[in-house]
Amino acid sequence: MSMESTRSDKSAKRSFNNNRNSASSNSNSNPSNKKKKTSQKTLGVAWGSNSRSSSRSSFSNSPFSNFGSYMVEKNRKLQNQFEAEASTSSHGGSGSVKPIFDGVSIFVDGFTVPSSQELRGYMLKHGGRFENYFSRRRVTHIICSNLPDSKIKNLRSFSRGLPVVKPAWILESVAVNKLLSWVPFQLDQLANNQPKLSSFFTLKRSSVSNSASTHAPCQVNPEAEDSSLKVGTSGDTYFSEVSEPFEHRKQISRESDDLVNENSNASLVEETAGSSGKPCEVAMGIPSNIDAEDESSVKNDLQSSHYQPTALVSSNCINNQNMKGSPSSMVSEPSNQSHSTLGDPNFVENYFKNSRLHFIGTWRNRYRKRFHSLSNGFNCTSSNIKASPLKTAIMHVDMDCFFVSVVIRNHPELLDKPVAVCHSDNTKGTAEISSANYPARDYGIKAGMFVRNAKALCPHLVIFPYNFEAYEEVADQFYNVLHKHGNKVQAVSCDEAFLDVTDSEGDPQLLASKIRKEIFETTRCTASVGIAGNMLMARLATRTAKPDGQCYIPPERVDDYLSQLPIKALPGIGHVLEEKLKKQNVWTCGQLRMISKDSLQKDFGLKTGEMLWNYSRGVDNRLVGLIQESKSVGAEVNWGVRFKDLKDAQNFLSNLCKEVSLRLQGCGVEGRTFTLKIKKRRKDAEEPIKYMGHGDCENLSHSTTVPVATDDVEVLQRITKQLFGSFHLDVKEIRGVGLQVSRLESTENSKQGLERNSLKSWLASASARTEELCKNSHVAKESSNRGCEGEGDETLGQLCGNSVGLSIQMDSNTSNGAACLNEVSVLPPLCHLDMGVLKSLPPELFSELNEIYGGKLVDLIAKNKGKTENINHTLSAYSHEKIEGAMKEGQAARLSSMVFQNEIPVENKAEQHIAKEVLAVSGAESFVPASGLKKTDLIPSSLSQVDTSVLQQLPEELKVDILEHLPAHRMQVFSPNVLLDPTEIPLEALGTKTAENNSGSKDFVLDNNLWVGIPPQWVDKFKVSNCLILNILAEMYYKSGSTGNLSPILQRISSVSLHQLDAFQDGWDEAMYILCELLKQYIKLKIELDIEEIYVCFRLLRRFAMKSELFIQVYNIVSPYLQALVGENYGGNLHMSLKD
Amino acid sequence: MDHKDNQSPQGETARILIEFLEVAITSIVFLKGVYPSGAFERRRYMNLVVQRARHPQLRDYIHSAVFGLLPFIQKGMVERAAVIFFNTDGIPVERFVFKLAVNLSYGSKVEEADLEFSLRSFLIKLSVSESLTKVLPCDYRWEITAYFRSLPEASANKDVKQWIPTDARQWEQPPLLTPIKSMSSEPLCVQLYIEHPSLSEPKPQNGEV
Repeated sequence: MSMESTRSDKSAKRSFNNNRNSASSNSNSNPSNKKKKTSQKTLGVAWGSNSRSSSRSSFSNSPFSNFGSYMVEKNRKLQNQFEAEASTSSHGGSGSVKPIFDGVSIFVDGFTVPSSQELRGYMLKHGGRFENYFSRRRVTHIICSNLPDSKIKNLRSFSRGLPVVKPAWILESVAVNKLLSWVPFQLDQLANNQPKLSSFFTLKRSSVSNSASTHAPCQVNPEAEDSSLKVGTSGDTYFSEVSEPFEHRKQISRESDDLVNENSNASLVEETAGSSGKPCEVAMGIPSNIDAEDESSVKNDLQSSHYQPTALVSSNCINNQNMKGSPSSMVSEPSNQSHSTLGDPNFVENYFKNSRLHFIGTWRNRYRKRFHSLSNGFNCTSSNIKASPLKTAIMHVDMDCFFVSVVIRNHPELLDKPVAVCHSDNTKGTAEISSANYPARDYGIKAGMFVRNAKALCPHLVIFPYNFEAYEEVADQFYNVLHKHGNKVQAVSCDEAFLDVTDSEGDPQLLASKIRKEIFETTRCTASVGIAGNMLMARLATRTAKPDGQCYIPPERVDDYLSQLPIKALPGIGHVLEEKLKKQNVWTCGQLRMISKDSLQKDFGLKTGEMLWNYSRGVDNRLVGLIQESKSVGAEVNWGVRFKDLKDAQNFLSNLCKEVSLRLQGCGVEGRTFTLKIKKRRKDAEEPIKYMGHGDCENLSHSTTVPVATDDVEVLQRITKQLFGSFHLDVKEIRGVGLQVSRLESTENSKQGLERNSLKSWLASASARTEELCKNSHVAKESSNRGCEGEGDETLGQLCGNSVGLSIQMDSNTSNGAACLNEVSVLPPLCHLDMGVLKSLPPELFSELNEIYGGKLVDLIAKNKGKTENINHTLSAYSHEKIEGAMKEGQAARLSSMVFQNEIPVENKAEQHIAKEVLAVSGAESFVPASGLKKTDLIPSSLSQVDTSVLQQLPEELKVDILEHLPAHRMQVFSPNVLLDPTEIPLEALGTKTAENNSGSKDFVLDNNLWVGIPPQWVDKFKVSNCLILNILAEMYYKSGSTGNLSPILQRISSVSLHQLDAFQDGWDEAMYILCELLKQYIKLKIELDIEEIYVCFRLLRRFAMKSELFIQVYNIVSPYLQALVGENYGGNLHMSLKD
Repeated sequence: MDHKDNQSPQGETARILIEFLEVAITSIVFLKGVYPSGAFERRRYMNLVVQRARHPQLRDYIHSAVFGLLPFIQKGMVERAAVIFFNTDGIPVERFVFKLAVNLSYGSKVEEADLEFSLRSFLIKLSVSESLTKVLPCDYRWEITAYFRSLPEASANKDVKQWIPTDARQWEQPPLLTPIKSMSSEPLCVQLYIEHPSLSEPKPQNGEV
């Protein structure tokens, strides 16, 4: 209490010069004025005692005489509570380090994610303050996610000039453990409406230095006379504490100069930051005990400069790279023993450089980068695989003892000598052989054997070290060959892949030998190929084929092949499973087949059981091209780990973090959960037999989760250090360390307004992408030009997604243009251009493009203005459908494969179309169907101009797409009776198709699954119907966002004038019938789980019924059915009130 | 966080559901104005402002009733949980029914945040549903009733014993339903609707105000 009273004294003093307020506080004690004042005060309940807080001084102990004094008391209590909590929950182990939010006091306004309580928790934990009631003086930041319009319009009176920041600011600050600049986290609404706001704030701050400002140095002490002075002093203390070469000091002094500059002149910030970034960051890398305050102050200013969305970002990028390189050299220690963490300062780096497992593990990322577009391209078209499940041909290509043959390809004399690959050639060594060629295997040499044992078996065994460059080279050559022969390639490993050759002409066996021959010619290494109907059998076939051979298992031979196959040969059966099965006396797949699926699932779990059951029968439903996303990224070192003291261990950890951070960045992901795994020598364990191995160990692990995903090496190092500390281990006992990052989020998704990262990655990726494009273009050209297009489109898609910097847009745009040029060597035709992109282009760029196109762009835009929305809707819906289609065995796929047989060019076009749409939903609208059909603006004004034979050959999606556009186009111009004519054609076309495909009767009204599929079947039916209301329904399906729910569709319809629809008499009965059917099926679908949806729909229908004859009838027919079903399920009737 | 990992998905779902029901039932009682508004205090749940009963007996009644359901919900035995308002004759006037369906074969981990998102919408909708409800007669009582799919086996568990078989009086005619909110997710489906006596239902003697 005593502390409090001094505090209030102080505050009274501080606000003393505020005459009006202190007067009001005085008058508060006067009962005669009380009523008036109170009524006035209640106006600002939520804002509490903001401007009147000076009244607190006189009432701290007296009973409340009015609302103001009550609020003062309440605030005081809340503060006491907060402080009490803060003292118990504050950060353990932070010691002398200043908490992140020191000097920050937030007020949370409205609904936020995370909730204000969570934010309060963060503030508690990290030394900030949390205000329940707004006060201009006590609050430094207002946190909110959304502001109502009124507050935005009147921002000054709402925020009192305080920064209005998104909660992400707090989360990110906690994540990086330092106070970030709030500027990039400013509320979007404000940023959009008033782009100049932030600069306004900065200017203001520098002129009025003791106003509440947000840069750390100022917050630390709000009463500081001058913030620039503060920075200057902090620079000085920094000086004296760091004992580094003179050069550094110089840089630092320059640094502090720059900071002073920044405070005095806001416009200078951008320039100086760019130059000062590097020296500062380097200094940070030095492990010295810099005062945290200084660190954060320097860093913060730096950080803020990172966030400035200016052209200078590129220089920042360079700085970052520099930063990465330098610390490692500083952390290193002189060596006294080689091959362990004790000796080698770059142990972690070298370890991974020499690790084969690391090579294999990280190979996939390289592959993905290289063949990214190709693998995506085929992923999207994989619907074809399903089209004819009986005839699929899968090829499994595997290089023969890859690691050896690559090394000895330059030593033909060793071809039939026993050779093994191992990282050490010490004959007595305990190094493990990683791969041995076939002659060596004849001696019984196996992978994983110690070199000395292998030498004992075969004294003249030749041992080679790894040659990772060669592996990389050969692996790339290998995949080049594969991608040349088929676009459906699934990489399993650097030397192993699956190909789907179903669509390739000719005998797969011939193709296999051709591929093998080509692989041998380009790489001088042999490969074996297994061919079968699915991936499992293909892989097993390779087993038989090896070495240097090929094997085809036709479907009829699958059973024979499997019956004698030992269970161990099946992928997915490891030691443990094998042992379990052997206990049940199961040795071969034949025996495994005798066990029922149920008991397998009971014994081994649902998934494993099913897998066993399937595999033992040669059933494998996996599709080539389905690549699993990794769930975690990490690095682990279990060899050569010996620490002398804690410092060693810390160095090691920070290097490990660097490695993990690089891997995360390589995979383009960020993680939230960090697990540190430690192998600790068991008490009684001897020094392991294997040289520098880990021996007998206890495995320990600790993990932690942070609120915001990260791949930042500094954050990783900090977290790891904390985790490591929690083990309380003797570092001498540690034999292995691993860091694993899970809860991954892809980098693109996780950027919420983080300009720094997006810009950085943008710049990096833009240049990389252009290179990639060039590299890929010839590869892609060889196989098919789809890949190239895919790549181009992807850039395009990203362009739409993150339109951040103008210069970057320009950049990738030109690269996109280049891709197009590569392909067709002319500008993309007008109809290829994406409206969305065009519209979002900056004006200068647009006018430039417009010139190139001779002014046609403007016309195009004008023409499309009305339509684009609609088209975008439908197209995105279609691409969605196509993804689904790829997974499901759909009629669409069957149709398209049929077309494929008939008319290849058309199919190719269609495939391109699909690939594009999936890759770039937003960048869609660029397909040109074959002969005669052009884009929307060029579309023939009536279907009668369309060649029906062409139409018939088109895949269904395309056809429907065209039909969808046509009526919409003509509706304004043509009378309805023309409408009858075209619609008969597609119906007829549909009819013939379906009949041929035997997919069941497609009679207009009879089938019972109108709601099946995405989009539901009725949509397609209604679209081609000749009844206007049905057409509208289908159209609304797309407009309403294609959710699959009826109520949004009906809601949209309610905006259409229904009287006119009734005037359209044709097909009245039919329309009514199918509408009823539609509703009934919908009720059936939803009755059990979503009565609310049905309720909403029927209330809307009731409303329609008041206007439309048709809907009266529909409503009258369906509602008894509805009530009966409701009665059945809920024992009551829906209350269709007459009120509305 | 760790304790959740040990639980079955159903246990987790039930736990979340129970918590939600306690809040939702309190909200209904508050909405109907059974007790003066001073009997409630504002609390935060799922980042929403909700009401919580201040009177320990009221709070305990709701809490223990709902938590007594936990084992049954976990086993998927509870079909509906209802808050019934009835007049002095014991004839229901209005019933708020939660229709529950816990997916017993759901195997993967339940994401609390996902459920929370859907459940929150119930509370939001409830708070604005007063116009859908009827004005209650002046003298009335309320209770929480659960409808089971099958008779629960006799159990030694204390919590379970709090639930006694009941033969609440029913309407003679099928009631009128007014759906308030529905959610269906893989682990859990919840629907909330109000039941009112049908228009042809004989009027209770006491009459409505």
